[in-house]
Amino acid sequence: MFIPVVFCGGQYNHLIVRALRELGVESRLVPMTTIKLEGLEAMEVDGLVMGGGPYSVRDGLEQFGDLPRIIMEANFPIFGICLTHQLIGKLLGGEIVKGSKPEFGKITVYVIDKDDILRGLSPSFEAWASHNDEVVRTSKESFEVLAHSDFCSVEALKDRRRPIYGVQFHIEVADTPRGKEVLSNFIEVCRR
Amino acid sequence: MRVSAEFDAASFVEKAVEELRRRIGDRRAIIAVSGGVDSTTCAALTYRAIGRDLVCVFIDTGFMRKGEPEEVYRRLTAPPLNLPLKLIRAKDRFFKALKGLSDAEQKRMAFRKTFYEVLSEEARKEGCTVLVQGTIAPDWIETLGGIKTQHNILEQLGVDTAKEYGFDLVEPLVDLYKDQVRAVARYLGAPVEVSERQPFPGPGLSVRAVGEITEEKVEVAREASWIVEERLKEFKPSQYFAAVFEDERVDSDRHLKQEIARMLKLSEDELQLYCFKARATGVKGDARAYGKIVGLEGWRRLEGGVDVDLFDMAVKRLVHWDPEVTRVLCAVTERRHGKYAVAIRAVITRDFMTAKVARLPWEVLMEVGKKILERCPAVSQVFYDVTSKPPATVEFE
Repeated sequence: MFIPVVFCGGQYNHLIVRALRELGVESRLVPMTTIKLEGLEAMEVDGLVMGGGPYSVRDGLEQFGDLPRIIMEANFPIFGICLTHQLIGKLLGGEIVKGSKPEFGKITVYVIDKDDILRGLSPSFEAWASHNDEVVRTSKESFEVLAHSDFCSVEALKDRRRPIYGVQFHIEVADTPRGKEVLSNFIEVCRR
Repeated sequence: MRVSAEFDAASFVEKAVEELRRRIGDRRAIIAVSGGVDSTTCAALTYRAIGRDLVCVFIDTGFMRKGEPEEVYRRLTAPPLNLPLKLIRAKDRFFKALKGLSDAEQKRMAFRKTFYEVLSEEARKEGCTVLVQGTIAPDWIETLGGIKTQHNILEQLGVDTAKEYGFDLVEPLVDLYKDQVRAVARYLGAPVEVSERQPFPGPGLSVRAVGEITEEKVEVAREASWIVEERLKEFKPSQYFAAVFEDERVDSDRHLKQEIARMLKLSEDELQLYCFKARATGVKGDARAYGKIVGLEGWRRLEGGVDVDLFDMAVKRLVHWDPEVTRVLCAVTERRHGKYAVAIRAVITRDFMTAKVARLPWEVLMEVGKKILERCPAVSQVFYDVTSKPPATVEFE
């Protein structure tokens, strides 16, 4: 099983590779600026995880290279974290705003949909977050909200039609003790 | 179904030794060793690969802790490590390079420049054309992310080391995290003082003497760090030290004070809230932040250990109030007349990518504070840093 991680400049990106390897999945970093959909298909990936980074979706989609097309057209499951969760949210019709109450450090995530990627984590769990921007619903969005926190209404989302997921918090850091369970659930999705 | 792929130190060492021999060939290599787990493990590993073709140097930058140069020298040259170590005194050179600088990044850059100058002079003297470094994953991740310039990051920033300094760079630990390096150190038989050693930044006390570098401030940082280490080691935090900065304060607004007081279950006149003029490095949303330090006073009424959850709520509120806040400190002693404020920092973390504030008994923090005031007459007040990473970093700069 091979699930590469898109390096988006975030300091935790490397930890995602480490976590995947610890779960018995083959992984390595691929750079956001050069990776193409065709390249991923040629690598025969079983899924794709995209990391966070120091950019803002509010500054436009051009800075993300081929990621928007990959998210909209790929035939494999995709999981976005933090920045790329926001990118998915934007592409699926949500709005990205600078949060009035940004989250840094420990948060509590409340599970709304307990049967999907957050299976086993209901009703709530502790996580580590670090973000200024956040996804908000617009009534036109084509995603389901899977979780929220005290300050952020969309902590996790899922495309209604395809296995595309996003989480605002960081599943890959040691201070999100149950982050690996979320990743295992995604690996299960990739096995199907 | 789930395959566990835990880190295997034995097979890592076997592969790394082979790779080191291949990369270095019949050339001579140099490594700067600080006594910390990364550089010492890297030196032991390389020594295993190429033996006496490795030159190990310990550069005394003048920003080391009390007695550290001598202690490290003794430990590394003794069995079981037996490293051929050379001690280089460069205190005056480093101090001259950093004197008068106050911006955190400028200080780090000046330190780095001096470090490689001293090292490449030594390499030339010894006829070494390869530099081995114990760079690990968080070093290059933080530097590339623009959080902090770690002193050992060259190639990843596009520095051509062969052209600039006259040596090839080899970094055998570059994909490892701290906990994995410790496993390698234990496997190589390093003493626990090395394998379990808490991290100490390359630029040393220069980043704990926050803001402008003066001899006096560095001395306070040295003495206070020693007191903190001696008293807190039994609690085994992942990293613990003291940072020093000028005690210059600006009052804060009243509404915020009321709200924080309520949050902490104190009455309004029991709480004092202010900002320091000094600035500290933080990390917010994968970007570097360099901003305000907030001081709080009045917790003495809170009993028992440090209530990390309560502090955490206050930190969140303060960051929402002013996005420039990167750090929140609470007083553990009364204020007296003096030039400097000292912050005790103690965190718990697996890999230093994120970190929690250590839950320490309040009486112990007060005891440490009292001792710092006794031993350092220039210190006005001692605080405990109650900020997680993010929004703060572990070190202040």
